[in-house]
Amino acid sequence: MKEYTFSGRTWVITGKNNEIIPDIDTDQIFHNAYLHITEIEKMGQYTFDNLEGWKDFSTKAKPGDIMIAGSNFGSGSSRQQAVDCFRALGVKVIIAVSFGAIYKRNAINSGFPILMFADAERIISEKKIKNLDKVKIDLSTGKLTKVESGETFSLMPFSKVQKDIYDSGSLLNI
Amino acid sequence: MAQTFVEKLMSKKAGKEVYSGAIVSIEPDYVMSHDNAAAISNTFKKIGVGKVKYPERVVIILDHEVPAPKESSATNHKEIRQFVQEQGIEHFYDINKGICHQVFVEEGFAMPGKLIVGSDSHTTTYGALGAMSAGIGRSEVAAIWATGELWFQVPETLKIIINGEMPRYISPKDIVLTIIGQIRADGADYKSVEFTGETVLFMDIAERMVLTNMAAEMGAKNGYVPPDHVTFDYIRGRAKAEFDPLYSDEDATFFQVLEFDISKISPAVAKPHTVDNYCPIEEVAGTKIDQALIGTCTNGRISDLEAAAKILQGKKVKARTLVIPASWEIYREALKKGYIETFIDAGTLVLNPGCGPCLGAHLGVMAPGEVTFSTANRNFKGRMGCREADIYLGSPLSVAASAITGEITHPGRFL
Repeated sequence: MKEYTFSGRTWVITGKNNEIIPDIDTDQIFHNAYLHITEIEKMGQYTFDNLEGWKDFSTKAKPGDIMIAGSNFGSGSSRQQAVDCFRALGVKVIIAVSFGAIYKRNAINSGFPILMFADAERIISEKKIKNLDKVKIDLSTGKLTKVESGETFSLMPFSKVQKDIYDSGSLLNI
Repeated sequence: MAQTFVEKLMSKKAGKEVYSGAIVSIEPDYVMSHDNAAAISNTFKKIGVGKVKYPERVVIILDHEVPAPKESSATNHKEIRQFVQEQGIEHFYDINKGICHQVFVEEGFAMPGKLIVGSDSHTTTYGALGAMSAGIGRSEVAAIWATGELWFQVPETLKIIINGEMPRYISPKDIVLTIIGQIRADGADYKSVEFTGETVLFMDIAERMVLTNMAAEMGAKNGYVPPDHVTFDYIRGRAKAEFDPLYSDEDATFFQVLEFDISKISPAVAKPHTVDNYCPIEEVAGTKIDQALIGTCTNGRISDLEAAAKILQGKKVKARTLVIPASWEIYREALKKGYIETFIDAGTLVLNPGCGPCLGAHLGVMAPGEVTFSTANRNFKGRMGCREADIYLGSPLSVAASAITGEITHPGRFL
């Protein structure tokens, strides 16, 4: 049985004015200079190294972390490395307002948990969740809980296809 | 019940009536990949089925790093050639054909009513010929090679109606950049975008391909132009198989219908570093450029080269200028029509068909602080290799005019 609840520290991918950054493309997540890399272990170090303010993400992230990003996260190219680099760092779940169409499929098909959080922009601007807050997430219900305060937020839970693929590990195991 | 194009196509494939939101597991007619077929073949080998299920549905076209600029790319190419041989994949095109999206269309794989996927985000291009075609990930391609099928969520449809006559200095690139500027980079997230209207009706296949190619930049799952006599004329003699055109019903349920009148728009520019960072060219006119790029899967077709040649005829370029025909078929035609000579006389570099510097791999990488004005589809930070460089996007007319002056220039000045 695969794990359905995760607790960890959060990283909220915000810009200079604490706004959640929209449209982070795959060149900002995993730059095209590293496309020749195909071993997952080697990918982590390059995560976000082309995203202003987040170039040192790979040194800050720890296994178990949970990430919250803006709308259209992972737009752009079809590169799988833009998903796998987070797996390499041990990031457990990526939450975003929405995902780029191909990115979403790459994540789901590789059995990497992603969840959509329509209200993230408001929640972040009101500072209800900040960097390094401890949270708990349930993939099957979409419930996000702030551990310290017990406050909860509703995210879109796993879809059926997402669950089926996640349960079997990845699309290639079905 | 009335259906959209994509609902009809997926219903037909699934053997049952489905509507947007449904999940179906269906068999694509063709699955395309390029230089990344090397990585895909490694994933495929790990699955352990040995043989590709339908080798005749696999199309591989080398274009990203051709000829190989370094050992790792040469090794990739070598692995692909071996794999193709082992698996009996007959639809393999080596480094001497051109950009995958152009070659795929020229070779007649893009046909109305077909389901096509590819491990490249601009696979959306083939919808210009009435196909449902979408970019997918590498592991998904490996899965299709193994099983022949893949799951899809039937997308909702965004209908974009374009009306009005294009002024002489306007091209489809200006239209689509203007639209993306309004609906933004996620305006069509996971939607099937249907381009219609009288302006589209009068476009040739090359022009329609600009719209469907750029559909990827609005977040679309696929772009689609309803096939008509223009489509059928183009594919006559090229089509690889029988085909069955499909169209949206008039009363189908659309996610949204947007209308644009393009008769009065300005040449459009996407400023660094996002494609939806739109402005009319007047706003950035005078911006100094170091490099001009005319080509790519967006704007490297014969009509684009013709537009550029019209402007460059008898002139000399001030910015260093790269011209890359999208395929050798186009290169040959440009040669016959005298455009290549025009480009050489103007002082440009005419390069071999391929993706070239568009994705920063080779053939025109930029230096820090430099500015490129390009006809490509993306201007993300670092896209052309250097992260301290700026990329502006525009039409072939605008880029050619700016190459002459060395600064961003309204093409009307030379027309």
